[in-house]
Amino acid sequence: MMRDETRLGWTMALPALSVIALIALGPILWAAWESLFLHDLRMPWLGRRFIGAQNYIEALSDPRFWGAIGHTLAFAAVSVSLELVLGLALAVAVDSMTRGRGLVRTAMLLPWAVPTVVVGLVWRFIFETPAGLMNAVLVGSGVMADPPIWFADPEAAWVPIILADVWKTTPFVALLLLAGLQNIERSLYEAAQIDGASVWRQFTAITLPLLKPALLVALVFRTVDAFRVFDVIYVMTGGGPGTATEPIAMYTFSALLENLRFGYGSALSVVIFVATFLLALIAIRLMGRRTLIEPAS
Amino acid sequence: MAREFRRIPVAALCSCVVFVCFGCARTDPHVLTFAGSAVGREGEAIRRQLDSFQALHPAIRVEVQSTPDAADHRHQLYVQWLNARAADPDVLQLDVVWAPEFAAAGWILDLDRFRPQIDDFFPATLTANRWNGALYALPWFVDVGMLYWRKDLMARAPTDLDELRQLATRGTREQAIPFGFVWQGARYEGLVTVFLELLGAFGGAILDDHGRVVVDSDRAVDALTWMRDSIDVDRIVPASALTWQEEQVRLAFQNGQAVFMRNWPYAHALLQDPSQSRVAGRFGIAPMPATSGGSPTAALGGSVLAINANSGDSDAAYQLIEYLLEPAQLLTRARIVGQYPPRPTMYETKELEDALRIAPSDARRIIEHAVPRPATPIYSELSQTLQIALHRALTRQQEPRAALHQAGTAMRSLLARAELDREQP
Repeated sequence: MMRDETRLGWTMALPALSVIALIALGPILWAAWESLFLHDLRMPWLGRRFIGAQNYIEALSDPRFWGAIGHTLAFAAVSVSLELVLGLALAVAVDSMTRGRGLVRTAMLLPWAVPTVVVGLVWRFIFETPAGLMNAVLVGSGVMADPPIWFADPEAAWVPIILADVWKTTPFVALLLLAGLQNIERSLYEAAQIDGASVWRQFTAITLPLLKPALLVALVFRTVDAFRVFDVIYVMTGGGPGTATEPIAMYTFSALLENLRFGYGSALSVVIFVATFLLALIAIRLMGRRTLIEPAS
Repeated sequence: MAREFRRIPVAALCSCVVFVCFGCARTDPHVLTFAGSAVGREGEAIRRQLDSFQALHPAIRVEVQSTPDAADHRHQLYVQWLNARAADPDVLQLDVVWAPEFAAAGWILDLDRFRPQIDDFFPATLTANRWNGALYALPWFVDVGMLYWRKDLMARAPTDLDELRQLATRGTREQAIPFGFVWQGARYEGLVTVFLELLGAFGGAILDDHGRVVVDSDRAVDALTWMRDSIDVDRIVPASALTWQEEQVRLAFQNGQAVFMRNWPYAHALLQDPSQSRVAGRFGIAPMPATSGGSPTAALGGSVLAINANSGDSDAAYQLIEYLLEPAQLLTRARIVGQYPPRPTMYETKELEDALRIAPSDARRIIEHAVPRPATPIYSELSQTLQIALHRALTRQQEPRAALHQAGTAMRSLLARAELDREQP
């Protein structure tokens, strides 16, 4: 009886599982297999040779690879922290509104609805030199007499990139956190007020701990997303100056689609896959049963 | 994943081809496809040319297969088609730097079998199309990097780089022109062509005659240092130029903001248009000046015509190429699109002067200084490596010597991986 039920379960799940195998597992395994070959469409006379782990060795000994990993991690750390802090502030503000919350919530989502490429182009336009808006404002207001050539400066180039990303994705974080805030029992605050707790004390003792699951969800989504960052940087700096803002996804794109190095590019894809997968695993561990199954309170 | 990746676009394209050719019999052996630029004025020109070709050869039909205008995208598409051994397109318009790559891959036909008449082509335009001693493509039009200078600020073009620097400095300090010299400094192929010209001006090269990497020579370091110093020390080149491509550079010069500009011929007609240009009638063109250790150098660009190795009818394809390269046809393109013909004898004719609205002797003098970029199948990868190194040095992330040394090492190992370091092209 039980076995029949199990078999039935598997049978019913089979179509879904096979679709997953076809569109997710298959390509991943294929990429892993391909990554063991020297397969370079720009050098077809070399054929397609099995070279074992050679592609991985090349990647790990390439300073551009490590540079790209460094840029990706730094970008993820800075942009996700900013998004969480600003998103939280925004969420608390909207949560404490008594009127017009629906309207604000909709308006807030607008940046999120704009395609990333458009966001990148607009911010690039603002920071363009010499005719960009930003430099006119900086000079005009006396903040900076000699603002940097944003996209020709290896450090300054990050400013518009991070601003664009934060501008676009903070609303997403804010919305997630707002949902979390609205789940917190109001009576807790009333009790705290009666006990004479300050607003700050209420925030640290009630809001933050109870918001932790929502914060974790936002953190994980944004970190995994930031790790795969590509479009915003592609349209803004193309990874430059030099390769100073090149993230790992762009390095892979360059190897795979510009240089048509299928073997090496696949090896890089596998590295990204493993890294993102590990991030996701850690996340599931962190949020795990506690967050996903038990309700927040 | 890789193979799927390759096949999906091919399948999609095949269906496009089927769609495009709906109604025309694909079994007819005399249907040719031509792939290249087919938008705007170029599209107008090619359609007119193909019509007249078909009128002359009623047995042959030619279809245009549109391709993206961005060089990288077109290249990617061609690689996908040719690597899949597709028989279409028969005739391909290639960027001049792709010919060796496609030849080495066996994707385009060795044209020597057709015994082409090659005595009336600029020699550099042919060198760029040779691989292992054989000719794989014929030049269609030439692009050359040249110096645009302001006639209202000086009596004649500078004869060497020092004079250019002095005139540019004088322009910015005394004549209130914001920029002395503008060129394409963004990290892309254009930067390599600018560097190639200054490299020639200092007597250096990217690869030597035996195909060995010499991009880290002292002369190359001098050339790159000159470029960097013109930004930071002489302050004649604006630092924003490190994010500029052709159009931003042209706009700066066109608005009267620059004493000198390095750009391609296309800018000429636009700059002469008084409705949009403030320098109409007030500028001239000249070869890029050099130092005593080198010679004036113009980076060679432009397009070439080649035949798909799997073409079903290579004879008809060659007939089409021959037709497009007839002086009368090249003149049509010069008139409609403003492209410079690859045949030196045409520069002695009045017709070309009328078509290009430029003194042909000036243009010819520059084209004679044309130097092709390295003719190697892995040019694109070498160039990418170089672009990064140049941009790092110019944005002061690395010293010129260190950047070029790193690029040289990477380029040598690329050639070794491609197994091209032993061969002598």
